[in-house]
Amino acid sequence: MNFEIIVVGGGHAGCEAALAAARLGAKTVLITPKKETVARMPCNPSIGGIAKSHLVHELQALGGEIGRNADATGIQFRTLNTRKGPAVRATRIQCDKAAYSKRMLNVLETTPNLHIAEQLMTEFLIESNTVVGVIMDNGELLYSAAVIFCPGTSLGGTIHVGDVKEPGGGDGAPASHGITEQLRELGFRISRLKTGTPPRLDKVTIDYNAMEIQPGDYPPPLFSDPLELPSLFHVEHPETAQIPCFLTHTTAKTHEIIRSNLSRSSLYGGHIVGTGVRYCPSVEDKIVKFPNHASHHVFIEPEGVTSPLAYPNGISNSLPRDVQDALVASIPGLASARIIKYGYAIEYDYSDPTQLFPSLETKLIKGLFFAGQINGTTGYEEAAAQGFMAAINAVRMVRNQNPIILRRDEAYIGILIDDLVTKGTDEPYRMFTSRAERRLLLRQDNAQFRLCGRAGEIGVVDQAILKETNIAELRIATEIKRLNSLRVGSHSCLELLRRPEVKYGDLPCALNSLSGRLVCELENRVKYEGYIMRETKDAARMSGIESTLIPDSFDYVSTPSLRIEAREKFLRIRPRTLGQAVRIPGITPADISILAVFLRRHSASIRNQL
Amino acid sequence: MNADSDTIVGISTAPGAAGIAIVRISGTESLAIADQIIRCNRRISSLAGNNMAHGFVADGNDIDEVVVLVFKAPHSYTREDVVEIQGHGGSICARRILSAVLRHGARMAEPGEFTKRAFLNGRIDLVQAEAVIDLINAQSERAASSAIEQLEGKLSDYIRTCYDKMLTAAADLEYSLDFEEGDLGDDYFRKIAELVENVNVTLEEILNTWEEGVLLREGLKIVISGPPNAGKSTLLNGLLGRNRSIVSETPGTTRDTIEEQSVLEGIPVRYVDTAGLRDASCTVEQDGVRRAKESIATAGINIRVIDGSAPLEASQKPEEWPNADHWLIVLNKADLGLVMRKSDFPVNLRCVECCLHDETGIKTVRDALKVMINISTGSTMPHATISERHRAMIQYAQNELNECMILLKQRGEESAAEAAAALRRATEKVGEITGHFYTDDLLTKVFSRFCVGK
Repeated sequence: MNFEIIVVGGGHAGCEAALAAARLGAKTVLITPKKETVARMPCNPSIGGIAKSHLVHELQALGGEIGRNADATGIQFRTLNTRKGPAVRATRIQCDKAAYSKRMLNVLETTPNLHIAEQLMTEFLIESNTVVGVIMDNGELLYSAAVIFCPGTSLGGTIHVGDVKEPGGGDGAPASHGITEQLRELGFRISRLKTGTPPRLDKVTIDYNAMEIQPGDYPPPLFSDPLELPSLFHVEHPETAQIPCFLTHTTAKTHEIIRSNLSRSSLYGGHIVGTGVRYCPSVEDKIVKFPNHASHHVFIEPEGVTSPLAYPNGISNSLPRDVQDALVASIPGLASARIIKYGYAIEYDYSDPTQLFPSLETKLIKGLFFAGQINGTTGYEEAAAQGFMAAINAVRMVRNQNPIILRRDEAYIGILIDDLVTKGTDEPYRMFTSRAERRLLLRQDNAQFRLCGRAGEIGVVDQAILKETNIAELRIATEIKRLNSLRVGSHSCLELLRRPEVKYGDLPCALNSLSGRLVCELENRVKYEGYIMRETKDAARMSGIESTLIPDSFDYVSTPSLRIEAREKFLRIRPRTLGQAVRIPGITPADISILAVFLRRHSASIRNQL
Repeated sequence: MNADSDTIVGISTAPGAAGIAIVRISGTESLAIADQIIRCNRRISSLAGNNMAHGFVADGNDIDEVVVLVFKAPHSYTREDVVEIQGHGGSICARRILSAVLRHGARMAEPGEFTKRAFLNGRIDLVQAEAVIDLINAQSERAASSAIEQLEGKLSDYIRTCYDKMLTAAADLEYSLDFEEGDLGDDYFRKIAELVENVNVTLEEILNTWEEGVLLREGLKIVISGPPNAGKSTLLNGLLGRNRSIVSETPGTTRDTIEEQSVLEGIPVRYVDTAGLRDASCTVEQDGVRRAKESIATAGINIRVIDGSAPLEASQKPEEWPNADHWLIVLNKADLGLVMRKSDFPVNLRCVECCLHDETGIKTVRDALKVMINISTGSTMPHATISERHRAMIQYAQNELNECMILLKQRGEESAAEAAAALRRATEKVGEITGHFYTDDLLTKVFSRFCVGK
């Protein structure tokens, strides 16, 4: 069978990739072992959260599905960091896991140009360093011009529970073997990472009275425009229909149990070689590294409306089953809680992401793109962002168009990919707002506006929606002008609105016709104008080097004067712009100066040849 | 990393005696900066390209009377807007003009940077580019011994401590932004503000001692010492060409140290005439002797004047020669017949025989000093420019820290993101001095201070 794009893997990266490619009109096939396992959430049951929410809003603006899918299947909706200013405000939606997966499958199945093959991929078909398709385990060959590989944690997956280990891809999925070996033969550097998940509890065996209730927000914050979702999947979201989370904590007894069983943990017993996540530590890690903390939070999160499972967020571990039983029972409210699925640690293979171009195409094999955990990231949102961008650029490659690379000062997605392909990672990479140099420019509330131009360039989002965004942009600008011209006493309305305590609705001249979203964006632009201008100026200062492209034909080897170390790094990373070159660890300003000089010479000599 | 769109400044003339010194500014802000610091009957930015004007550089007080040349992009060496300020020769004026320009937002040019821009902007051809590479390589060699090592040891320790404290404050602030850990309380943010304030005080102290240091460096200190009535004040007056010290036949006339500024070989110098070294009887004089010894210890060049017509008393012997390179022995009163000769001193010691009462004697000393200055300034000049650059960086950091502190104190958690942005700019700037990278250090700090993640 012939396709334009093959997507391997139906997780969050794979779903986003398949949808984006098909929506751009490319004939696409998604290969996944079982339809019902697409878009599963093998770890926490939520989408968004600080910095991750920014990624989701950006995907929403560019035409991704993850935001809408979370909105439609959410059971609890919250805005985080409400008191800390718009730059770090974030949306988090607890989803019904089964519904999330089911709705995504429905979207996949109803999207034109998209086929689903329920198979396991076993091998890439490679001809002269170019991927031409894949072989499936039934022996069938699929041909395509590009392959987007999103295996999640299944590559060489090993699951650890205490000192027991068995192969597995996580959440009951099979591990895939053989592919790592093929990648190594092709020259890829592959290493191991580790992540873990807590035990799942039977929700009816929990005593919620012993815990603090955490209700959702009303009205529910969403990733997408509510008008785009005429009927939400689950409820119409009245306050009471949301399902609350609960907060409890570990106790001295919990810590004692863990301490006395550390040697039986797969992590501390020496069974795991992969690097774990510093910011999502296992409960063993927390207790060893922070011995002074008497207690740690544990959030009890529902996995769905009808699901019997509750997710105890905060006690991820790889201890033997009997220890997990004792550990859970030592937590207030969980004395008689029953574990349905035990926690485990999973080790898996990932490929050093500096082996990718910023388009997410591998440098070694033309037409082969990697997205998601294989690139060393963790998180559904990080995976979705990569899947989306990989698909956009795969389709563009097939159509002989230049790749679209989002800059660090225009999107968190740009930061994510730039960090990966420039610096690599030796621990599971997660997004933080502190990774952004211009955090005040990259708010979730302005994602739709700052990425409107890019969305047009990409072409997934409906033109009518982009037109509306442009109109909204114009309305905000007009309204700011109007506020500046109207006076209350000795101040203009604009000056009044700059004050922290004044809201748009407090102004005597406020218009009722502006939607809540527009009001929010208007307020932020006015109140933070000074800070935003400052960062815009800083970003503009760097735009010179960020837009100086380094042609792929640039010959580092015969560039005299470059330090050997610099030359090796440039050759390995092959930076796309001078800006990216600057960020390569170990590169000095002097290296960049030399590169800049020879770049100039290079382009001059190309001009002379023409 | 400095973007090539920055405005840069440098002293374009070589240090040393010259009629004029040229300070060159290149970049988009050059004309705006010139407008701010040059008092002139017309705005510098209103001049057409390739024009000149006469005026005064003033930053508070008048610094120098200058001629200003304006070149407008692309008709300039770098193809950017360029302003050249021609002031009086010698490095004091040029350095003051330089620091005024730095204070108004320009950045110190790296070696070869004007030429690099000329090349990048297509002004000079490919053959010349090779020369640029050499310049850049020279820069990278210097960068290899990182900036911090060029600072004095104690100072760099202070700055490292500041960086670490700033990082701690940043980690606490970023933690509050990147992790949803419930209500941290106003106290949490007040403590961060206090830490930031604390760092700012230290930076202020560093800057104060630094300014003293820069002042010291502005003049090479030449200390004249010796037994009473050997001719120290005569030498000072001779070098200055006028009567500053009281000269008399009575030993102990100069009871305190006397300082005079002058220029030698185009280098600013400070002559210090000390009280005669002897076992003084009165307390005023004892004090003078003590101060003389202090001056000797901190001198760039020491001149020991000795009456060569009389045998050296034990108490008059140079007590120690801590650094023989910096000592010059003047055997005065050759006209009376010398009983002490050059050969009586160690061979590695510079020594001249002369009579300070006539002009040739003064010239002999001056020539000897010129040789010594040319040897010593090779190393002192670059230090002065580096510290100017660092000073500007610290001042930048201070402004940002101040903004951070005010935001946190006034609005606490609500302004945490804006405060963090200011703190980040400050920390990155100080990290440039210490050679640290903000993001990498920051996350490591956050993870070591907090047990994060659910």
